Amino acid sequence: MSGAELPKDVALRPWPAIKTEKLASEDLQLQIEQLTNERGHLRNITEKSLQEDIAAGKDLPDDAGGIVEKKELGDNDLSKERDKKIQDVFRAQHEMANHVEWMKFSAHNLVDVISMCLSIDPNRRALSSFSHTFRTDGLQQGIPFGSFGMSKENREQYVPHQDEWTANKEYQQRQEIVAKGARMAALDTATDDILKAAKKLEREVRKETKYWQEIVSISDKGWPLQRWRQNSRNVTDILIASNRFKARGLAPLRMDKNGSIMLDPALALKPKTLRVRISENGQITGTSRLPVQGDTKDVAIEKTIQLARESLFEEELYHEMSLETRHLLPYGVEYRDSIIRVDASGTSGQQRRRKLLIDCIPREEQHIDNRVQSNDWLARNVAEGLRLLLAHEHSMRLHRRSQLPPPLSSQKREQPPPPLLRPLLAILRHLEDVDSLHGYLETVVRTLSSAGVDVELQTTREIAWAKLAESHKSPSTRGLSATDQLLEIFLKPFEGSATLKFPCPTAGKVEELTLSTRTVIGQPTFGTEHKLTLPSSLTVDLGLFQQVKFNSVDELTSYLDWTLALHIVHRYLKEEFSSRAVIKGNEPIITIGSKIGKKGPGNGRDITVELADGALKVIAATADLQDAVAEAHQLHTWTGKESSITLKEQVKSWVG
Amino acid sequence: MHELLLYGQVPAARHDQVLRILSGLAAMQPRRILQRCILYKPQREPEEPGLNIRRGGTQNVAVKQAKQTAAPSLYYTKLIQKLSDNDFGKENGLPKSTTQPLSANVADGEEPKWSMRWEDIPDTGDRGVSIRFTNTTDLVTGNPHEQMIAAGPNRFVTEYFVEGHRFVLGNVIIFLHRILHEPGVRSVEETPKSILPSFANLQLLDLSGAYVLEAKVRVQDFKEASILESGVNELKDFQKQMRGCVELALPDRLSLDTRVKYRPPHAAAASAQNRPR
Repeated sequence: MSGAELPKDVALRPWPAIKTEKLASEDLQLQIEQLTNERGHLRNITEKSLQEDIAAGKDLPDDAGGIVEKKELGDNDLSKERDKKIQDVFRAQHEMANHVEWMKFSAHNLVDVISMCLSIDPNRRALSSFSHTFRTDGLQQGIPFGSFGMSKENREQYVPHQDEWTANKEYQQRQEIVAKGARMAALDTATDDILKAAKKLEREVRKETKYWQEIVSISDKGWPLQRWRQNSRNVTDILIASNRFKARGLAPLRMDKNGSIMLDPALALKPKTLRVRISENGQITGTSRLPVQGDTKDVAIEKTIQLARESLFEEELYHEMSLETRHLLPYGVEYRDSIIRVDASGTSGQQRRRKLLIDCIPREEQHIDNRVQSNDWLARNVAEGLRLLLAHEHSMRLHRRSQLPPPLSSQKREQPPPPLLRPLLAILRHLEDVDSLHGYLETVVRTLSSAGVDVELQTTREIAWAKLAESHKSPSTRGLSATDQLLEIFLKPFEGSATLKFPCPTAGKVEELTLSTRTVIGQPTFGTEHKLTLPSSLTVDLGLFQQVKFNSVDELTSYLDWTLALHIVHRYLKEEFSSRAVIKGNEPIITIGSKIGKKGPGNGRDITVELADGALKVIAATADLQDAVAEAHQLHTWTGKESSITLKEQVKSWVG
Repeated sequence: MHELLLYGQVPAARHDQVLRILSGLAAMQPRRILQRCILYKPQREPEEPGLNIRRGGTQNVAVKQAKQTAAPSLYYTKLIQKLSDNDFGKENGLPKSTTQPLSANVADGEEPKWSMRWEDIPDTGDRGVSIRFTNTTDLVTGNPHEQMIAAGPNRFVTEYFVEGHRFVLGNVIIFLHRILHEPGVRSVEETPKSILPSFANLQLLDLSGAYVLEAKVRVQDFKEASILESGVNELKDFQKQMRGCVELALPDRLSLDTRVKYRPPHAAAASAQNRPR
């Protein structure tokens, strides 16, 4: 045998032991055991059988002989041979260990598989029945017991029974039908869903189309629309209202179910309107009405927006006015029972008690009574005027906002309420006063001219109105529109003027008596003020103040009567009878001496001039105080009618 | 009066868009503004700037040094004239009048046209907005240029034109503008022109045509913290609103420096040193 041979020829053999002379009992035992392994029972080992074996060549493996042979070989070969053998032995040992290890592994696997199968039965679950590796790496890592199934059946060669076969077949068919049914149902629902989606899409598209059509039509009508912040909601900005109404100036335009626009509930309130009524002595004589709107072609939503906007405007107007009434109590403006009552009787008027009643009523109610009344025009104009003023206030708000803001400071500026009632009051009073004053002046002038006194009268009710065309020729430097400039006039003090011109016959110059009427509701005059400017000659002669201010027309007229009488006496008659006339004191009395006996006081006559209620009265009386018998007074009155005799002629006729 | 400021830049191509956005935001029409600014430099010498070394001997033994006050510096000042389109000369036409001196006279009731403006260097504080002290004086009579020359004394430096649109949003004044100047011989010029060139002859300072967006809040009571705070917040709110449209940023403080760099003349310095003290 050589080392290159396959190891299957290798037999295990004990390491050659040291031979001893005498076998110990245990050695003997080993010997016997070895013998038994090699040759069978001792009983069969006889000399004969051994001889037979030798004869048959079934000797011990020939290493006994080999050893002997090798012993015969050279000593140097012996050690080499030995080393090689040792190496062979080691290799063989290693290989064997390998195999054993594999075997052990397979055996363990088998044990594990079996234990795993058995562990279906809870009674046979024992950790100990598994291999150590599987226990640590498998079970403790979470592989549950009984997780390995096993079937004993072998169906390969199985031929089922007829019954079973049919049952199976039926079962299979049922299964197929069920599957088909399920598929059908799924398809059905899918179709339904798609249809539903399509319908919904269609509806949405229709809704959106309608919504956007309406939006476009609203936008075409000029309503400002805007996108509000993140919400893609459209909003109609109705107007630049004051803070209180600003929230209502915006209305979200939401879609309702049909796609048409639904207004915010806040806007769908009952529309209101402003009503102005004129009451005279407790009787309503005039009511303002909104013009009836004819066009109903508009889409409903636009109509609603229009109404909401108008209502908002009117409500704001009413609200601002009711705030303003608080400051106007002294001017006869009251706020009672939600009605603003403005006293429009005028300071010096007829004995009628005229009042403006302003309130805010639901829009439908205004058509209830349609009687035409005498003062409807006034009521309507007042209402329109108030609306114009608020519209002006709105554009002024924008104008004020566009101006450079004042620097921030700790002083808070407060916004005065917009002037609405104040211009109304001012204009009422101003016109009333100016008209009555001018009416009076005209009467006076007519009377005087009928009496032969030349007087020229020029009147202007309001200077700014008169100069309107000129002042608006050039565009405003402040960037105001023409409309705003126009309305601005009404917020300024009203100023009327009247000029009386007396031509001075001798000096050839004209003496002017100017009356200016200024109306401000508020500082500094708190109403109407008349300023009378007298010509310098009068003031010098009579020691009057050049400028006199009056608060009412009555005071002014009585003063004016007196002044005019003085003027007639002191200028007009004095110049006529320059040498003979003597004036005593500051009274409109002139003493004119007769032509004969110039200096005789007894012959003089007192001429008294009186001007009252548009009538000029001249009284002649004898100035002779010693004469107890008073001569009958001679009297003549001019009232503005065509008269045959002038003042000068009359006086001359008396004086002679 | 203090001014809180933020600046942004708008390229010329976006000008119209930004103008529309701003007019929507402020809910008002833009207001066109034309201005002429004339810059003056003071001619007098400051009182020895940065002097903290004691010269010569002193008999004070250990006097605690008085609080160092910064040397008062000198500032450029501006004259601002409000203009309208009609104030510019006609193109290729003869000047309207020959030699009409500048005049700030205005009739009663009209807004003054000329004003004198002084601006401080912005504060060093960090509030997210630039804060500077300014002073504006309206001139209503006389020749503004001569007044400026006499007061100071000042020297005319240059003049330029500002063209733009103004909006007002609450207390924020928004001014979208750009600067124009007359090309050519500006540096040779000794006095501001009394007859303006035609608008078409003016040239952009920034040739790309970009606009400057200035957001300004004016504060009177600077010492009141709450007032200042509200102003700053209002400006910052505007900044936030404009985010994504125009980025408003804090300007560089030193780029808004209006102080005059003082360079002492050498000869004068030498003689000053020799002067006995």
